[in-house]
Amino acid sequence: MLLYLHIPFCDSKCHYCSFNSYVEKFHLKEHYMQSVHQQLLKDLERFHVTHGAIESLFIGGGTPSTVPPKLYEPFFKTLRPYLSTTAECTAEANPNSATSSWLAGMQQLGINRVSFGVQSFNNAKLKRLGRSHSRDDAIRAVTNAAALGIAHISLDLIYATAFDTPSLLQADLKQTFALPIDHVSAYALSIEAGTVFANRPEVAKEHLTQTRQLFSAIEQHGFKQYEISNFGISPSQHNLSYWRHLPYLGIGAGAVGCVNNIRYYPHRNIEAYIQSPCFNTRETLHDSEIKSERIFLGLRSIVGVSRHLLGAAEFQRAQLLVDAKKLTFHDNVFYNTDYLLSDEIALFIED
Amino acid sequence: MEHIRNFSIIAHIDHGKSTLADRIIQECGSVSEREMTTQMMDTMDIEQERGITIKAQSVRLDYVKDGKHYVLNLIDTPGHVDFSYEVSKSLASSDGALLIVDAAQGVEAQTIANVYLALDNDLELLPVINKIDLPAAEPERVAEEIESTIGIDATDALMVSAKSGMGIRELLDAIVDRIPPPSGHPDATTKAIIYDSWFDPYLGALALVRVFDGAIRKGQQVMLMSNKEQHQVLDLMYPHPLKRQKTPAIKSGEIGIVVLGLKEVSVVNVGDTITDAKNPATESVGEYEPAKPFVFAGIYPIDTDRFEELRDALDKLKLNDSSLSYEPETSVALGFGFRVGFLGMLHMEVIKERLEREFNLDLIATAPSVVYHVYLNDGSMVEVQNPSQLPDGTKIDRIEEPYVRATVITPTEYLGNIMNLLVSKRGIQEKMDYMNEERVLLEYALPMNEIVVDFYDTLKSISKGYASFDYEPTRFREGDLVKLDLKIAGDVVDALSVIVPRTSSLSRGRALVKNMKEIVPRQLFEVAIQASLGNKVIARETVKSMGKNVTAKCYGGDITRKRKLLEKQKAGKKRMKSIGKVQLPQEAFMSVLKMD
Ligand SMILES: Nc1nc2c(ncn2[C@@H]2O[C@H](COP(=O)(O)OP(=O)(O)OP(=O)(O)O)[C@@H](O)[C@H]2O)c(=O)[nH]1
Ligand SMILES: C[S@@+](CC[C@H](N)C(=O)[O-])C[C@H]1O[C@@H](n2cnc3c(N)ncnc32)[C@H](O)[C@@H]1O
Ligand code: SF4
Ligand SMILES: [Mg+2]
Repeated sequence: MLLYLHIPFCDSKCHYCSFNSYVEKFHLKEHYMQSVHQQLLKDLERFHVTHGAIESLFIGGGTPSTVPPKLYEPFFKTLRPYLSTTAECTAEANPNSATSSWLAGMQQLGINRVSFGVQSFNNAKLKRLGRSHSRDDAIRAVTNAAALGIAHISLDLIYATAFDTPSLLQADLKQTFALPIDHVSAYALSIEAGTVFANRPEVAKEHLTQTRQLFSAIEQHGFKQYEISNFGISPSQHNLSYWRHLPYLGIGAGAVGCVNNIRYYPHRNIEAYIQSPCFNTRETLHDSEIKSERIFLGLRSIVGVSRHLLGAAEFQRAQLLVDAKKLTFHDNVFYNTDYLLSDEIALFIED
Repeated sequence: MEHIRNFSIIAHIDHGKSTLADRIIQECGSVSEREMTTQMMDTMDIEQERGITIKAQSVRLDYVKDGKHYVLNLIDTPGHVDFSYEVSKSLASSDGALLIVDAAQGVEAQTIANVYLALDNDLELLPVINKIDLPAAEPERVAEEIESTIGIDATDALMVSAKSGMGIRELLDAIVDRIPPPSGHPDATTKAIIYDSWFDPYLGALALVRVFDGAIRKGQQVMLMSNKEQHQVLDLMYPHPLKRQKTPAIKSGEIGIVVLGLKEVSVVNVGDTITDAKNPATESVGEYEPAKPFVFAGIYPIDTDRFEELRDALDKLKLNDSSLSYEPETSVALGFGFRVGFLGMLHMEVIKERLEREFNLDLIATAPSVVYHVYLNDGSMVEVQNPSQLPDGTKIDRIEEPYVRATVITPTEYLGNIMNLLVSKRGIQEKMDYMNEERVLLEYALPMNEIVVDFYDTLKSISKGYASFDYEPTRFREGDLVKLDLKIAGDVVDALSVIVPRTSSLSRGRALVKNMKEIVPRQLFEVAIQASLGNKVIARETVKSMGKNVTAKCYGGDITRKRKLLEKQKAGKKRMKSIGKVQLPQEAFMSVLKMD
């Protein structure tokens, strides 16, 4: 079992981002943190979660580093017995708000992995993306985390923007690997409704050769690509578990959970959430939907697709792709050799 | 009988027949203000949407002139050349016709074609110049044009606007005065012609008839003269687009609908004569040829499991469209489907659209082909409707292809363009007449396969829409023709073969692969597209393999959103046809006839 906790606050809104977050609701922080605690109690109970059952915690956002460690305390206090001793506990953090003391406080609570939203080390690009921190802020934040002895550190990067040049990306990678990290997430800029960039779709611009160069450059540093956007010396357990279709609790405004093949959605609106933190809308996943999800998730990651999932015709089509060297097949599992084609392959295979 | 007037409305496409019918119906008070809609006679959805008439439609109206009651039986006919069969049927049961000519457009190709049909039937023609409300209307010039090109007296031509209603009353009076009443023998034994038939889910097969002699009465035992089958008349009605009216009898000179309670419409053949079973007439009214399909195309369900559904759908459409003909065929590429005969390209488009919409089918139509007469070395002849069935070249002595007589009317300024087009389509000039200083009428002998696709559109575009076109099939002539095959990823796709003149095979092959390259989307694999004559590849293009199809972004737990995006893409793919590893969009199959 995994647990995702959503923190819907940000210091400012980045031009590309449509994640659920508020820049002017800081006065609700305390209330909000009480509410997520309530939902946690409820979810642990209704899903009969047993002690030590939670293998991974991910605090995402929004910006988890906008909330001081103290406000997380009750949440962790309740959660602690349910966490396995080896649990991966990640918090996302922004370079401008993840101070040494915030990092230290979170580490105290049990955070052993920090994922920094860096996006780029180029100040001009950062500005055009609407980020509120500089290259130096990012370097400092990562260095501080490492100095504290936080075991696992990851960076988010954004590529495929109109601001990229081969040399810019090269410089970003050079700086990335000069830092003491063990994981990188590299996302292609996508244009989302309701963002500043929604009216400027031309800022998303991908050159496939550049993308492939980026992937291989990251891999050359020993960071294996284990999903279309994720690379690491060791994969994040949390990420991998999503792609394995394992159950997850989703806590907070705009979080998503999925247990017993029922996907549930707490209120997205923060006030509504605070009003009724235990309310959710639900979607029952049909077998065909689960199958389809397992296929496309398996194909975009090292998880692969088990042959038992496939019907006879689907198996045959997958075999065709093995012949064409688009997939490999061992121990009854098909593995994708080119994640960039994963959706097309899913469409090709599925009935 | 002196008080009955049976007439058809004929014209070139869009000259306003159906709109005029609306005004006449309205003037006769046959529908209430509330029931009034536009183009009422166009009862099918597809007719309303496209604003064209496809099927002729009859209505019985009452009209009072000088205190006398008259019955007007009006038949609105389609103007499009594909449906000229409907015009022929309608004229065969009329005693006169209104020849509508658009006051701004003047005489056009189908105006002339329809005049000939009316004269073949010895009908009184009433020239009606319509759309006189238009600023560009030139009624006097058009009247002159009617006189000079058609050779009928247009001094008494009626000037109307079907839009505003101007001149409608005068028109109705002229109909009464100038169209002759029906002739026939009321006291003789029953003799009526079936000029339309269709299937009603409640009433079964219906026959629309024009009674010449005697009468048809409810309860009467009647006989169909073609097969001598006897049936009882269950009910009789007068036709109306909104409200049919029951009647105990349809008498000499009248038109009406006969209900025979038959489950099968195939027994009720258009052109057949109905007579009294006990006292049959000695001669039938006369026969007309069944509608003859000109072009043939393969129609296949994308989902090969839905062949039976397609068969049912065709059977159902056939109930209301006797011109539709089909037989099962198989294609290596497409599986089981039907070779369907059509009256023309518009007919084909309409049938495909109706099959898809009314029966919820996803279909592939192959490029339409004409019928070739292929003479083999052993002296025998085979009819080939499907290019992939063309026998091996070494066995063929010669191939004959059907020709048409094409009539084009154009303003003189486009004459050069149009003659070039006709020559490039292997046309042979047979006639060139200046109708007046501005307009020319051309007649060309043209291979029918050259007009199947694109011709009409090209003609319209090179003449800014001013040239009009009509054709009628003439005879077969020998042609130097070859089969051009298309290979996709190394294999010949039978459904994509076309028959072309040898002299243009190279350019056609090149155009074909180029076209196909644009249409075939990038796939997981590189796709080679080759055109070949026999084993010889004459043109080649490659569709490169796809580089990427994935959104490299962070979905977190929101996997449903991602799945829905993929489902959308999947729905798009479902409309494509898998040929081996390659997926071809539906339009690929039609596009083989596109020239550029
Ligand atoms: N201005 C003007 N427009 C008219 C008049 N009569 C018809 N129209 C328009 O001309 C177009 C064609 O009219 P229809 O009545 O559908 O023509 P049609 O001859 O029945 O066409 P087909 O059945 O397809 O051959 C429509 O847009 C009508 O509104 C008229 O008297 N004046
Ligand atoms: C959930 S966000 C929050 C992270 C954190 N608040 C931050 O910005 O540092 C996680 C990551 O998703 C990526 N992301 C968000 N919106 C994106 C978009 N429209 N296109 C590509 N990547 C995006 C960014 O790299 C971001 O760091
Ligand atoms: S990218 Fe991070 S900081 Fe920027 S708006 Fe999104 S959640 Fe907030
Ligand atoms: Mg009409």
